[in-house]
Amino acid sequence: MAAFEYRQAEEIRDAFARYLFIGKSGAILLGFSDTTQDANLFVEKSPKNGRGLVAALKDIGFDLNQQQSEEIVRGKDFVQLKNGPFDLDLVFAPDGIEKFTDAWERRIEVEGFPVCHPDDIIASKEAAGRAKDRESLPRLKSFREYWLRNRQEKASCAVWVSNPNSRTMKMK
Amino acid sequence: MTSAPSHGFDADHTDLKTPQDWPAEFDAAARRPLKTRFRYAFIHTYKPVLDDEPYREFDTMEEYRQWCEDHLPDWLGYGRI
Repeated sequence: MAAFEYRQAEEIRDAFARYLFIGKSGAILLGFSDTTQDANLFVEKSPKNGRGLVAALKDIGFDLNQQQSEEIVRGKDFVQLKNGPFDLDLVFAPDGIEKFTDAWERRIEVEGFPVCHPDDIIASKEAAGRAKDRESLPRLKSFREYWLRNRQEKASCAVWVSNPNSRTMKMK
Repeated sequence: MTSAPSHGFDADHTDLKTPQDWPAEFDAAARRPLKTRFRYAFIHTYKPVLDDEPYREFDTMEEYRQWCEDHLPDWLGYGRI
């Protein structure tokens, strides 16, 4: 078993539409400097999306039999895959997030990868309440503040570049 | 600085840093391309029990959490507090 690689993420990204990176893997895509063992995907629970996901996983090299494929299409709350090129957790109902569509509305795109908003990543870890989450949460919350601050600064710069007068007008 | 023992492989070297060091780490990470972040962030080491089956499924998250508490070593950190 090897670690998750960028090119494999690209294969998932290009294969089906309705999923979000969540957990520490999602935070890492947003820029969080840390390590993790597996990729975690929050997948929309629908037969159509499940079928697309199964096809993509088989293309990447996951060894799924008929029964396992059907369970994924049906949408168990949690599926743990260690039968492919990297470890992958499929989460259909993460703790702390009410509905997929809510998280989808709040998603962040990173080079085309759909990622849960840091607030959702933190909410799911807080709700899970595991020892490993308790250890990582303070640093993750600090990253959230950093990420939001940088995002606001970039947005301000973008407004300034597109319309230099807008900033002046705001300051008056 | 003395830090408490960490749970799990995910709790890595960053435990040794203080919160004051974190913004500098975030700045450094932000300067790296995503491909590079992937290369250094996703690692693989053997986790007892957890890695011993190629496939697991759970009807509910509660079942999964309970399975973790019943079967995984405490030091992996998957148990709820």
